[in-house]
Amino acid sequence: MASESERRRIVAMGGGGFSCPPGDPALDRYVLEAARAPHPRVCLLPTAGGDAEEQIRRFYAAFRHLPCEPTHLSLFRLGSEPVDVRAVLLGQDVLYVGGGSLLNLLAVWRAHGVDAILREAWERGIVMCGISAGSMCWFDAGVTTSFGAPRPVRGLGLLPGSNSVHYDAEPARRPCFHEAIRTEAVPPGWAVDDGVGLLFAGRELVEAVSARRGAGAYWVEEAQGQAVETALKPRALPGREELELPTPLSIVEWREARMRRR
Amino acid sequence: MAFGGGGFSMERGNTLLDDYVLSLTGKARPRVCFLPTASGDADHYIVRFYRAFEAGRCEPSHVSLFRREQSAGDVHEQLLTSDLVYVGGGSVVSLLGTWRAHGLDVTLRRAWESGVVLCGLSAGSLCWFAEAVTAFHGPPQAIAGLGLLPWSNCVHFDADPERCRAYRTMLAAGMAEGYAVEDGAALHFEGERLTRVVSSRPGARAYRMRRTGGRVSRRPLPADYLGATPAVVRAA
Repeated sequence: MASESERRRIVAMGGGGFSCPPGDPALDRYVLEAARAPHPRVCLLPTAGGDAEEQIRRFYAAFRHLPCEPTHLSLFRLGSEPVDVRAVLLGQDVLYVGGGSLLNLLAVWRAHGVDAILREAWERGIVMCGISAGSMCWFDAGVTTSFGAPRPVRGLGLLPGSNSVHYDAEPARRPCFHEAIRTEAVPPGWAVDDGVGLLFAGRELVEAVSARRGAGAYWVEEAQGQAVETALKPRALPGREELELPTPLSIVEWREARMRRR
Repeated sequence: MAFGGGGFSMERGNTLLDDYVLSLTGKARPRVCFLPTASGDADHYIVRFYRAFEAGRCEPSHVSLFRREQSAGDVHEQLLTSDLVYVGGGSVVSLLGTWRAHGLDVTLRRAWESGVVLCGLSAGSLCWFAEAVTAFHGPPQAIAGLGLLPWSNCVHFDADPERCRAYRTMLAAGMAEGYAVEDGAALHFEGERLTRVVSSRPGARAYRMRRTGGRVSRRPLPADYLGATPAVVRAA
């Protein structure tokens, strides 16, 4: 029997993933495995991108072919039917937060009361995960470019420490993160490259995994007035080539049956 | 200007309300800034704005709060130097949350005080009032808006009977008195005072909602149809 804290899982990814072609299918599978359900219900929260249709389309394109039940929840667009936000979120096995503006993500969640529901979901053992803004939101603090230039901002605080993403792809974030840690504007934390995910159980880091060769993650802390980076060693996940498998017939049939039922 | 619903977002080929708000600026070629925040800065919405407000008759621009790192210049300055700020529809709760995070609530009040015409439909109407009724994810609920206008507001009043009932209940329970607006009708305020009701559809109406004692009363407000002679309005 897993302890209370072990049940709580968060996968924080630095960038890439389904929303960034050609994608990192290994990370998608990793997230599903973290759910420990045979056919997990996965809900995309595309809030940080303003519920951008492109992100939603890519999510379904990536997860449709995996053994899961993908759905999404919009906080901007009117659906044709009323949605009980709390019931939808708490009825999932995995909540996947897409990238975009961290500032807007947190503001919109708070305005809708979704922040409290997400904490409840996490406490119940629903796997929380996300990319970019969808990663930083879980920590005490992140680095946002929502105003233009990178700037530290407070997150939900489910995870201790701070988080900076796209560490390799967007070099302007690094000096901002270093400065914020050096001056203790944010607590020490993790800097993560595109294609890399950190798995947390409770508030503890379990492992770092990488879907891209050469991509890494770093623990960044203040020491004698300087920001000091310590490289983590991510476990390599299978590459794209090793994962190019056709969808098993059983899943195709199951899905078709489901569609007919709707 | 508070539209109940209408303008380029909802009325394809009907430019009456949009023409009216442009005329309020008193400029031959007004600077019009679109705020699509309530839709999450939906691309297709922004494209439709630029189609409706073509460069021939105004100077169109927009502010995206979701891709602010890509926008050149200062968004606050952009709003303050506009002649007309046009707020699109969507979720008013998401709209207000995002605006407050970026400090746009303060900037829009300043713009209003300095004479910039503010308008919008649906969520873009509700946002200007002290209180409003939203029914975005399900049952209608009361929310606090920016409060430039000390009244309450309920939109799409004709389209949704449940919203109409809920508004009456909220008024009875102490919500600020205010205005219910049907699709195609719009309220024109100068300062906090309603000066005119106009419509892009014959027969589209607005109502003044009052509370006297414990009772809620509804008084229809005559709307000036912008598209035809009064005779046609009567016929409709």
